[in-house]
Amino acid sequence: MSPTFVELALIGFVLVAALGAALLRDLLASIIAFAAYSLGISIIWVILQAPDVGLTEAAVGAGVMTLLFLLAIAKTARPSEERLFERPGPGAVLVAGLFVLVMAATVPALPAIGASDSPVVSGEVTEHYVENAYEDTEVKNAVTAVLAGYRGLDTLGEAVVVFTAGIATLAVLRREEFT
Amino acid sequence: MSDVPEETEGGLYVESTIIMTTVRVVAPFVLTFAIFIMFHGADSPGGGFQGGVIAGATLMMVAFAFGIESTRHWVNGGLVAALAGGGVAVFALVGLGSVVLGGSFLEYDVYPIYHASKYGIELVEFAIGGIVAGVVIGLFFVIAAGFDHAVSEEAER
Repeated sequence: MSPTFVELALIGFVLVAALGAALLRDLLASIIAFAAYSLGISIIWVILQAPDVGLTEAAVGAGVMTLLFLLAIAKTARPSEERLFERPGPGAVLVAGLFVLVMAATVPALPAIGASDSPVVSGEVTEHYVENAYEDTEVKNAVTAVLAGYRGLDTLGEAVVVFTAGIATLAVLRREEFT
Repeated sequence: MSDVPEETEGGLYVESTIIMTTVRVVAPFVLTFAIFIMFHGADSPGGGFQGGVIAGATLMMVAFAFGIESTRHWVNGGLVAALAGGGVAVFALVGLGSVVLGGSFLEYDVYPIYHASKYGIELVEFAIGGIVAGVVIGLFFVIAAGFDHAVSEEAER
């Protein structure tokens, strides 16, 4: 299956935005590039038929994280830069390049998007969820059925992690209440 | 932003009629969308995490339009803490309640309620939404206040 024009354009956009976020020296520009990257990735998630993840990425990555970063640079110094781009050292380029190579080497092994014979779809666990989720939990969204039903304890852990992050920020900034 | 010399209270804030009017019109719809995502997550994409973030983002929009400090005074701090803490408590109680009734953790079917599983999951999603919305709003205000806020408050004591 060859990628469509929209997919190629999105991948190109995400790559450029990611490089911009990493290499732009100006912090504000870097944050904006990071937000653009998140937005591009969230659209890719939707194309890959993972709307739940796409929603999270758009709301958290492109929305809230950007705002928190902006607040952070507004609260700290934003040095004025003469150069537009960072000049990474040869060691950093080598390590990053090798990492990209290793990751890219796994791409040909991935199944095609939506392939019915991919290990995830034909796996025993997935089949059990798809067949029994509605009868067991009475919700139509299998993702929710797994999150709040089958894997409820894990989700409680996740929720507590979010809660703890809030408390930890309070502790670090030596405040006793959120507002 | 670099031409703002000193960060004072609300120093970032630029009053704009356009932004205030837009936020006033858009905010109720965004909040409705957040609650829809939270409650309808059982049957369509979404859920507590996403809905909670969008609900929190609504308040950030208001702060963006009307100023962070004036929004801080307007928001009830106890409500934000109650959302976050109460969410964890509700989630844990729903889970442990089924253990008390003889099932395993979060086994909704042991509750003697009509469609217990469906409504149990909705309640848990709502609790997650509360946690996430509370923490997101809290992080926003805490980071906006920054460290100097804490230091100056300590000096006052």
